[in-house]
Amino acid sequence: MSSSTFFGLDIATRGLYVAQRGLTNVNHNVDNINTPGYSRQVLEQRASRPILVTNGTGMLGTGAEVVGVKRMRDEYLDVKYRSESQYYGEWEVKYTLLEELQAIYNEPSNSGFNTVLNEFYNSLQNLSTDPSSPANRAALKEKAVMLTKYFNSVAEHFEYMQNDINEIVYAKVQEINSLADQIAKLNQQIYNYEVSGNVANDLRDQRGYLVDKLSKIINIDAYEVNYGKLPNGNDDTRFVITISGKAIVDHNNVSHLAAVQRDTKLNEEDIPNLYEVKWADGNRLTIKSGELKGYLDVRDGNDGLNGSSDFRGIPYYQRKMNDFVRVFARTFNEGITNPDGSMTKGHADGYTLYSQQGDPASGIRFFAIIDEIGQPMSSQKFLEAGDDGSGNLDFDAIYSQITAKNFSISLEIDENPTNNISISGAPGEVGNIDILREIIDLRHNPYMFNEGSPEDYIKTIISCMGVDGQLSSHYLNNQTVITKQIENRRQSISGVSVNEEMGNLVRYQHAYKAAAKMIQTYSEILDILVNRLGV
Amino acid sequence: MRITNNMLIDNMMANLNRNLNRVSNYQNQLSTGKKISLPSDDPIIASRALKLRTDVAEIQQFKRNVNDATSWMEITETTLKQIGDVMQRIRELTVDVSNGTKTQDDMDKTKVEIEQLKTQLINLANTTYSGRYIFSGFKTDKALMDTDGKFLIDISKNEQIFYEIGIGDDININVAGCDLFHTGDAAEGEKSSFINTIDELIAALESGEQTTVSGMLGKIDSEINNILRVRSAVGARMNRLELTANRLDDDNINFTKLMSKNEDVDIAEAIMKLMNEMNVYNASLAAGAKVIQPTLVDFLT
Repeated sequence: MSSSTFFGLDIATRGLYVAQRGLTNVNHNVDNINTPGYSRQVLEQRASRPILVTNGTGMLGTGAEVVGVKRMRDEYLDVKYRSESQYYGEWEVKYTLLEELQAIYNEPSNSGFNTVLNEFYNSLQNLSTDPSSPANRAALKEKAVMLTKYFNSVAEHFEYMQNDINEIVYAKVQEINSLADQIAKLNQQIYNYEVSGNVANDLRDQRGYLVDKLSKIINIDAYEVNYGKLPNGNDDTRFVITISGKAIVDHNNVSHLAAVQRDTKLNEEDIPNLYEVKWADGNRLTIKSGELKGYLDVRDGNDGLNGSSDFRGIPYYQRKMNDFVRVFARTFNEGITNPDGSMTKGHADGYTLYSQQGDPASGIRFFAIIDEIGQPMSSQKFLEAGDDGSGNLDFDAIYSQITAKNFSISLEIDENPTNNISISGAPGEVGNIDILREIIDLRHNPYMFNEGSPEDYIKTIISCMGVDGQLSSHYLNNQTVITKQIENRRQSISGVSVNEEMGNLVRYQHAYKAAAKMIQTYSEILDILVNRLGV
Repeated sequence: MRITNNMLIDNMMANLNRNLNRVSNYQNQLSTGKKISLPSDDPIIASRALKLRTDVAEIQQFKRNVNDATSWMEITETTLKQIGDVMQRIRELTVDVSNGTKTQDDMDKTKVEIEQLKTQLINLANTTYSGRYIFSGFKTDKALMDTDGKFLIDISKNEQIFYEIGIGDDININVAGCDLFHTGDAAEGEKSSFINTIDELIAALESGEQTTVSGMLGKIDSEINNILRVRSAVGARMNRLELTANRLDDDNINFTKLMSKNEDVDIAEAIMKLMNEMNVYNASLAAGAKVIQPTLVDFLT
């Protein structure tokens, strides 16, 4: 038995078709070389079903055919990438924000806390060498104003920063929701397309890219779930994304997240109405990592206090600054009781410059707070907070009014520093600096703070911040290397290589030429057969 | 491993960026002169820097205090010397008129001079330093005594003014007027025992009794001795001030050096490193340009 007359032309046409598909595929790959998330596609071809020849000479080849277009992708690397990119996102945010925090303190420099405190103490020392000089007293007041303004400014910057981060949290929640919506839509499209047994290569790439983006923002698990068999025998798989166990995307359904303003503050240092991130259906959301976690940690982190995360964020540093000004103002105003029981005196125990013999101690508090209209508060009004009428003042209540933001000199010092700075240990003695010396000695009093003297305290804050910053920088570097490494492996498998595509181009071009040649040859054969074989 | 074009570009960009980061780091160091710009660059350096800055600022303040103390004590010392000179002159005059050959006329002349000297002594007791009475204890705004030698203020030996010249290191810079011009603490309106001695001498001269006059010598000598005692105490304290000033100068240099060592950049080293990083950066740029450009496309015609 022999093959039919036009059988050769059929084979050659199939060859042309396969080569053409190959060329189209090369074209598609090359076009998408820079498309993010794109995986290269490979043409799967095989020899088409042969015809059984019954005379014992074997099978008759029928040429080539395309069985599909395969997407080169290692799903394992996707899972790996997503589980690492969440930490990359988190530390990238923390690193950037910690740099910003450090910039607010501006240490070490010639305009940070250290300089301000040095100048304040220097002006106290200057006053001690000429205590009756109005110039020295005015200078002390100005340096004190500088000191208080430094704290005000740092506290305000912290608040701005907290507010900015809060806005970003809101935006990130919207971004998560939007990504979830897009993914759900793609799920539906992919499902519809693949029900018939096709593979939606490009749509899957798009979805993978969106999931990558989502994985950087928040901790997610993404996987396909097998729901059984379709009537046509194919697997019924649906794509699910969960955050800490609860599905945000379940096939074509989306559970949105919501940013809801808090009614009560988490930390007393917070600005009001910060956003709490929840499920839109009201359920509690646990955020374990991702950019959102980075922002929330810096915004809310109070070293584990009030149920916040262990991270040292803005509330932590606000609290530390508040503690500092409270203790500093209190010891300056009232003196301090040392562990051995000895008491040092404070500014309130001093006597004013123009006091007369027999006058009582001035009772003027050097440091107080700014009142509602932005003016320094008088000592008397400042003390009212701790006056329960029994005659005993509750200093804890009084000094808990002070925050870094409202820290100020008192009205008396502001209005008349010459007279009201009370540094004399006895009335009517302008050269007496007994109180001033006690105040100056406080600078080196190791019992002022748990951390030691005032400078030790701030040093502790700054180095704590420095170490945290350094740590976040290390983490970020590590995560960068890890994600880069995974991305590299992904690119190695899924990326388009121009050389390879050009190789394929040449390959398919030649195959096309060869198939065309076959057609030409058959054409000649048929010419002979039909036209010249005159019978 | 299969290498794709984007891998090459991504890796090269990542490496270039890393190199550029290092270049920028050294450039930063050179332009600021500091090893670190944020505490997180090196928390240890940062916290030491804070400590050393405080130390240096304090030392400089203590130096200013020492200078102020020195000026005050120099005035005190000069005044004490003048008081001593006046008393010496009074003693000479007293010795002169008590040798038995002097007439009442001589005594009267001596009396007039001693009255002048008494006024001078009272003026010296009210000496001021930049507007502050140096012998008035804590009441530096009030004169010590009136023209009769009566105290205008309560004054006690305890009214010692201290300047801080080191951490926990104070120095007493004043001499309370009662220590010099009186025995023990004095109350307002009380007569200075020192001026009283002069007044007694004047009375003796007026009376013309030579034995009484010569009998005053003992009292005058004891006052002179008292002045010498106070002077030597002041001298000793000035000595201590001088030593402290020298030590503070040394400390200032040492701590400034330490501060610089801790946070300042070693310029030569930083420049070397910058150059090195620049070379690496240039090399990676050149290599990148060569590696990435050609593909098979360039050779297909």
